[in-house]
Amino acid sequence: MNDEMKKKINDKYEASIQNAERFWPDSIYKDLLVAFGLFILLIGLATFLGVHPEPKVDPTDATYVPRPEWYFLFLFEFLKYFPGQLEWVGAAVIPGILVGLLIFLPLYDKNPLRHNSKRKVALGIMSAIVSAIVILTLMASTIMTNMIAFILFLLLAGVLFFSLYKNPEKEIAWKKPALWVASFAFLALTGVTYQQTLAMAEPTEEVHVASSVPEKMSLGQDLYSIECVECHGPDGEGGEITVTAADGTEEKLPVKSISSNDEMYTRSDESFYEIISYGQPSLGMPPFGGAHGGELSPSELEYIVTFMRYTWDDRADVPEGAVTSAVPVLAEGEVPSYEVHVEPVVKRQCLSCHREGKENNNYLMEDYAGILNNGDNAPNVVAGDMDSILLQTIQGHEVEGVNGTIHVMPPNGKPIKDAYIDIFIRWVEAGMPETAEDASALAE
Amino acid sequence: MMKNIYAWLDERLGFDDMYKMLLDRPEPHGNWWNTLGSASLFLFIMQGVTGIFLTVYYAPTPDHAYDSIQYIMNDVAFGWLIRGMHHWGASLMVFVVFIHMLRTFFSASYKYPRELTWMVGSVLFLLTLGMGFTGYLLPFNQRAYWATVVATNIGGVVPGIGPFILRALRGGTDVSALTLSRFFSAHIWMLPAALAGLIGLHLYLIMRHGESAYPDQDD
Repeated sequence: MNDEMKKKINDKYEASIQNAERFWPDSIYKDLLVAFGLFILLIGLATFLGVHPEPKVDPTDATYVPRPEWYFLFLFEFLKYFPGQLEWVGAAVIPGILVGLLIFLPLYDKNPLRHNSKRKVALGIMSAIVSAIVILTLMASTIMTNMIAFILFLLLAGVLFFSLYKNPEKEIAWKKPALWVASFAFLALTGVTYQQTLAMAEPTEEVHVASSVPEKMSLGQDLYSIECVECHGPDGEGGEITVTAADGTEEKLPVKSISSNDEMYTRSDESFYEIISYGQPSLGMPPFGGAHGGELSPSELEYIVTFMRYTWDDRADVPEGAVTSAVPVLAEGEVPSYEVHVEPVVKRQCLSCHREGKENNNYLMEDYAGILNNGDNAPNVVAGDMDSILLQTIQGHEVEGVNGTIHVMPPNGKPIKDAYIDIFIRWVEAGMPETAEDASALAE
Repeated sequence: MMKNIYAWLDERLGFDDMYKMLLDRPEPHGNWWNTLGSASLFLFIMQGVTGIFLTVYYAPTPDHAYDSIQYIMNDVAFGWLIRGMHHWGASLMVFVVFIHMLRTFFSASYKYPRELTWMVGSVLFLLTLGMGFTGYLLPFNQRAYWATVVATNIGGVVPGIGPFILRALRGGTDVSALTLSRFFSAHIWMLPAALAGLIGLHLYLIMRHGESAYPDQDD
């Protein structure tokens, strides 16, 4: 750029600041207003959306599909086009070149002209890059976020067209580009959202993350019922297990109580955590932690330990709102319902065997309909029928089923508490109501 | 009394000169897009303030990072608010800085005599992304851990220097306690120091050349 051009630019700038604005108060006023708006927006986001909870690190869970922060999504999506040997081109070469081009832009863009009509090439290239970034981001985001983006976009477009409509006479420099960008963005958003609706990836499994002690206890209890009850009993009282040795011989081993004061007073949370994670190979306990070949994540192990500590340790300071015993006591004359009474008992007593992958004549007790109709011997329980298989077996009677004898339940020789049996009997008598409303309707 | 204090301070600090230098600067006619730069600065300060509060309770070790954040979220008074604002402030800052950059591009404000302002500014944008990248690991949850494993792996595919980049980022072969303390140090000391210094330079350049005017048909 020659000195003449420089002088022209500087003179023009000098003229443009004559009698125009002052930083104080003209700009500062707008700046403060925007800063205040952002501050309110931040408080709103923190209060109403918060931070999505995530589980603890589990380095053994290689199936976890990580997602970067949204502003790196475009790069993440971009890399998919460079598989295998070519990855470094997409990861290092192209982004490196783009970063260089971005930083040194004023050094190679020698065009001294500034008005939009005289920089068509530069504007075209930048618009193409920004569009590519936006489209890649949309392609990598979930359909939910795109829906939200879509609504936000419609709002913005509305504001834009309203302001154009309000001043149809006024010459607005950005009118044409704004219309172009808006139409393009509309097409891109519609296209990506439509394609995603078609593909409709299977819903990702939502991992429940507990933050408070009561939540941890309740999740821990659910896990305990499934993973531990079979050997340790619903209250950690222990019992006897049969272990098959490598040479095929069977050996009966005692399982001592894990809920006694002895146990609670002498073991720390860390110690429980390690035992569950690593197992006790010499005592017949398999490892449960993912690090040692089990199926539980570190967060899940922690929930179980929290459940044990707060339920069995008589020194524990149970926080308000925590449910220490998940099975509510049945009052005189009250009609039990599935959701309030039966489900908690089933969770504690039955589910550790009556779930997928266990030996149980296909009798899976995971929901209301399943308890009634699942399995080889259905119907398992009929309203008003005191001879129902379920009622008979939990009361200590063997029943003939299609595959042979159905044994007394539970099979570990420790009968269910009388109070729980009472819940089942009164539930069947009353007609097996599913919800609390159904139960109170039947009681009247 | 107040008058005396003011006079004493004015004699030494020079309020008049400060007013002329910092505030009473002439500017061309602007619009609301011109507020994005100061909005970026505001968000940087907000991130600094909330970040400093977070370091009071945050423990940058694999054993305690997750639990210390749980503690901030559940037990510290207004901890959830500070963390929430820091979390969302990061996203907002990347967004605002990016739009600020686009505004500068589309109004051709990076041309003579403001070339250096643009170059410093684009480095500031990259440093902001770096803050996002290093901050992402600090909660040390599943998402943070695996995203960092994948991202640092990508650094490792560069031919020749890849393995070196990988080891430098992770402080070893795996994402470990060393990675966490490296990212923490970068997130709270190295990158903010670089950002603060370059923001100072960026602001000096803006004051020296003045805010750019929007181009008209003759430009």
